[in-house]
Amino acid sequence: MLEFLSIDIGTIIFTICNLLILVWVFKHFLFGRVYKILDERQNDVSETYAKADEAMEHAKSLESEYTGLMEGAKEESAEMIKAASKKAQQRSDEIISDAKNEASAILAKAGEDVEREKKRAQNELRGEISELAVLVAQQVVEKEITEADHERFINDFIENVGDLK
Amino acid sequence: MKVSDFFQGVKEVQVGGPKIACSFKLFGININITETIIISWGIVIALTLLVLFLTHNMKKKPVKKRQVIAEFLVETVDKLVKDTMGKRYKSFGPYIAALFASSIFGSLVSLIGLRSTTADYSTTLSWALMSFIMIEAAKIKADGVGGYLKSFINPLNIVSEISTPVSMSFRHFGNVAGGMIITTLIYFALTGLSTALYCDIPIFTIGLPAVLSLYFDLFSGFMQAFIFIMLTMIYIASAKTEE
Repeated sequence: MLEFLSIDIGTIIFTICNLLILVWVFKHFLFGRVYKILDERQNDVSETYAKADEAMEHAKSLESEYTGLMEGAKEESAEMIKAASKKAQQRSDEIISDAKNEASAILAKAGEDVEREKKRAQNELRGEISELAVLVAQQVVEKEITEADHERFINDFIENVGDLK
Repeated sequence: MKVSDFFQGVKEVQVGGPKIACSFKLFGININITETIIISWGIVIALTLLVLFLTHNMKKKPVKKRQVIAEFLVETVDKLVKDTMGKRYKSFGPYIAALFASSIFGSLVSLIGLRSTTADYSTTLSWALMSFIMIEAAKIKADGVGGYLKSFINPLNIVSEISTPVSMSFRHFGNVAGGMIITTLIYFALTGLSTALYCDIPIFTIGLPAVLSLYFDLFSGFMQAFIFIMLTMIYIASAKTEE
């Protein structure tokens, strides 16, 4: 047995060795392993965060894209409506002017018809009147007149009638 | 009743140093394999097994309680080192943890009837020497060799430097060894009391020693281990800021 208060070289050497061994064990098997796990976990967390950020970014870009698309669609539809209404306006104008033209053409044709009928009626009238006049003249004058005289008389009459008209 | 009758069973009490298991000569130095060495080997093996068990098969998502315990231990030591010494001394964690574990388990082996390794002055002295080397190394690193040597122009500084390990080792040793002596004396006295009252079974040794052991083994052992690592950390950390 050693003295109660003694300094033993062997004990000192072995104690220091034991302490160093224990430091090594703690460093490798406790701190090292735990640090590794903590690092892995930290990496996991930061990876998750990065993924979340990425997803957020992606969603934002999609959102802006869709907003742009929506705005484009709105503009397009407005343009389409404008174009359609313009076309409709044009079409209606065209129809109206066509109708007007047609109406005026019909009117003109009607006028022509009336004129032609008038002329035909006049000519018919002229023939009848001349026959009538000859008849009347034969009865009134009761004398023979030459064919030439007849002709002259009739023409004068018609001209007068025409003037009277 | 004579005083000698009082100590009927145990005639005298003796508190000695650690027993020697065997001894051999190496390079002319007499190396003793003492009780302390064998017990401290046991502590190292037990702690190694404990650490291997705690950190065995760790997962990113902790599924076992022992992994939580291991992480808690490491984080506690890290926090303590960081708070006391600052972030740059983070690598001291394993040393502080090993010192603390050796010290507290060295004191607590008395609970299972073994001799405390810290009740051997050689043990606390070797730890104090280790810490002393680290403190001096930190000082040399901080001031440079020239600056370090210059601080010894005042010879009182030499005394102050040497007193650091001496006070650290004696404080730790004194507390544990004192506790051991008091516990032994109490046992002796209580056994004597039982014998004096004609009780063959020392019934008085039940109870009181347990309460005292709570203080001398658990509390004192923990406090001394804590004081030892705190002093080590403070001395090492203050080497740089003293400038």
